Amino acid sequence: MFAYQLRLAFKSLRRNPVLSALMVVAIGLGIAVSTASVTIYHIYSSNPIPHKSDVLFHVEIDNWHPDRPFDSDHPERAPFQLSYRDVRALMQSQIPTYQTAAFRTELMVFPDGDEQRPFREIVRMCFSDFFLMFDVPFQYGHGWDDAADHAPEPVIVINSRTNLRLFGGANSVGRSLKIQDRYFTIIGVLAEWRPTPKHYDPTVNAFGEPEAIYMPFNFTPVFEITNYGNTWSWMSEPIDSHEEYLQSEILWIQMWVQLDDETQKQAYQDFLDAYVLEQKKQGRLSRPLNNRLLDVMATLEEREVVPDSTKSQLVVSLLFLVVCAINLIGILLGKFLSRAPEIGVRRALGASRRSVFIQHLIECEVIGVLGGSLGLALSVMVLNAINRMLSNGEQLHLDLTMVGAGLLLSLVAGLIAGIYPSWRICHVAPAVHLKMQ
Amino acid sequence: MEFGPIFRALLNNRTRFWLIIVEVALTLAIVVNCTSIFLEKRRSFNSPTGMDVENILVINTEPFGEDFAVQDFVKDVGESDLARLRSRPSIINATPIHHIPLSGSGSSTGRKAAGSELDTVGISYFSVDEHGIETLGVELIDGRNFNQAEIGRRSDGGNEDMPRNVIVTKAFAERVFPDGNVVGSQISNGDDEYTATVIGVIDLMSNCWPRSSIGKHTMLQPSAAGDSREMNYLVRAEPGAIDTLYTELEELMISLETDRVVRVRTLSEIKLGYYSRTLMAMKIWAAVIVLMIIVTSLGIVGLTSFSVTQRTREIGTRRALGATRSAILRYFLIENWLITGIGLAIGTALTILLNYVLAEYAAAPKIDWILLVGGAAVLWAAGLLSALIPALRAITVTPEIATRSV
Repeated sequence: MFAYQLRLAFKSLRRNPVLSALMVVAIGLGIAVSTASVTIYHIYSSNPIPHKSDVLFHVEIDNWHPDRPFDSDHPERAPFQLSYRDVRALMQSQIPTYQTAAFRTELMVFPDGDEQRPFREIVRMCFSDFFLMFDVPFQYGHGWDDAADHAPEPVIVINSRTNLRLFGGANSVGRSLKIQDRYFTIIGVLAEWRPTPKHYDPTVNAFGEPEAIYMPFNFTPVFEITNYGNTWSWMSEPIDSHEEYLQSEILWIQMWVQLDDETQKQAYQDFLDAYVLEQKKQGRLSRPLNNRLLDVMATLEEREVVPDSTKSQLVVSLLFLVVCAINLIGILLGKFLSRAPEIGVRRALGASRRSVFIQHLIECEVIGVLGGSLGLALSVMVLNAINRMLSNGEQLHLDLTMVGAGLLLSLVAGLIAGIYPSWRICHVAPAVHLKMQ
Repeated sequence: MEFGPIFRALLNNRTRFWLIIVEVALTLAIVVNCTSIFLEKRRSFNSPTGMDVENILVINTEPFGEDFAVQDFVKDVGESDLARLRSRPSIINATPIHHIPLSGSGSSTGRKAAGSELDTVGISYFSVDEHGIETLGVELIDGRNFNQAEIGRRSDGGNEDMPRNVIVTKAFAERVFPDGNVVGSQISNGDDEYTATVIGVIDLMSNCWPRSSIGKHTMLQPSAAGDSREMNYLVRAEPGAIDTLYTELEELMISLETDRVVRVRTLSEIKLGYYSRTLMAMKIWAAVIVLMIIVTSLGIVGLTSFSVTQRTREIGTRRALGATRSAILRYFLIENWLITGIGLAIGTALTILLNYVLAEYAAAPKIDWILLVGGAAVLWAAGLLSALIPALRAITVTPEIATRSV
């Protein structure tokens, strides 16, 4: 029966190809625009590490001006970076399952051989736990260990793009690479890894590519480096050397801990509070006690990674789809009612209202699905165009969920548009139309 | 006029007309809101920067040679770079600079009138030498430029004893010194620990974050080339010379000193990068506006065509009873005019509602009334044009059609 109705639907669509094309295009445009915006919204607001987003916590200490909150619009918030001296102290804790301080910087890389000129590359300074807590995938090798953290040992992890650029994609574990003034041994090569949004550091370019090179954090004082990104300071202090910079109240380092249950979280919170109270005795951290542990989604929300314009686009494009569906109602109504005499005959020959209704609804859904497929194809083009326009290396793609969402949207649009015209046509009185012929 | 019969006919064919009304109303709401967002983005992109953006090149050098660890060497390289750049005939002037305007990354701080009890005002700063003003192409409207004696290097430590002089934009000066008398006044940080003297005021200069609320609060402070290993230069080209320079500068800089990575970009390119999201959003909004109007117009064509087809015999009867062709045309156009009018009235309310929602949850701008009136006019015209096509078909209906099938 379904196959028969499907055949009828296609037959009816072929009868007036221009009108059918118009309907398919109309719904297709609506689906294209709304799928593209739903995808963008979905990507911007997604959870990049769903299986552990509620056990990873961003550590914040309210180290700011005694009389002013860090964010005057949200006085309950604390600065979301820490000073080097606080990070040093907090990293002594034995409570978290994993913990890492980290920041983003740029260092000079000297490839072997004469073909390639030296270049600056983006580097993340972090602790060994970084790879474990964020489930960073490796193509070759692995991350470094605690001993390498402490020494620090000259080891690095590189991402797959850097491995391709320097070693043609071969297994480069064990090879050495000159960075700044010394040689580092490559201990691991990352597999393709692109958390979106970049949960571990959404402060700069939250949708960009992760760093190219990962280096033990304790090279910070060795190379006398600071971060490439945001640096905040509320007091002016004379700083003449890197050592003084590290001892200052300048906030530039992010810190994450993994706390697997409530007890562990409470223990860590107590540890933080005790540390800050201790520091208060020494005349530091004079704001009211406000130590915060934010899980991944709370962090992303506070950092407002979803741009406002994305939200407006979502609302507007769904309204656009509604208008396209209303359009479809109008056209379908005309098309179906002009077929009333034929339906009159079918009803007189015994077709039930139900089967007439379902037959027309199926025709509407066929239009919806055809339009949806066209719309999905168009939205891929739209997203590719957007990717080309964005200069920061963001990549927006349809995933399976979004293809499903697009098709679902088109079915819903077909249904909404189809119900009323189908209902009207199945209530056609057979006698009137029989008489007219 | 036939308002009476038209109105009664409307009441008899409610569904079809409600469809048009809802469609027109939604379209007005969306088109007006999108246009408002689009215009705001365009204003932001086109707002004057005060600088000669089209003719400025940005050179970024990242040294890796070991010689660069020696402060004097860095200083010498900086001085010779600038001398070579300035001596080139197609270059108007060049300056060292730490941060790049319009780039989205830079440094900002808070400053207030020295001794004032008020909060500090955010300001973004750039370190340039005495050629900075000419290179940027900004206009000095009060006071004076830096002189050569003031340009010291921070790393010399020599700056400590020298008077700290700065040049600020008018936008910042007006915020901090509402009474005027800017030149010669002191500004300070929040704790009054650091003070500097304003020696000049420039008319306008966008800083690193032109979209932000402090996008035109800019401060220039004196600095020479070679303050740090990584050096940025701004170069202002003679009009028309920028394309040639763009291709030549990297080689020139490397020929002057090999052990460094050199990157040359135009300031326009940097501006486009900073605004890439804005430009993308503008294209999306423009596309939605155009598509909306097309889809709605097609919808009106479709629905009116249907109504013409359905009323063919009615039209024939009226023609047989003596109605002229123009009366039939008028009937359909007035009908459309009425429906669109009702749609636009409801649409106006919807527009304001949607704007409220977008403003509340997505920080959209408030709508200008002119836009609403303009949008309504465009839709009214589009509606009439769309109805004209089927209406012209309606007047070809001849009286005998009315009698044929009876």
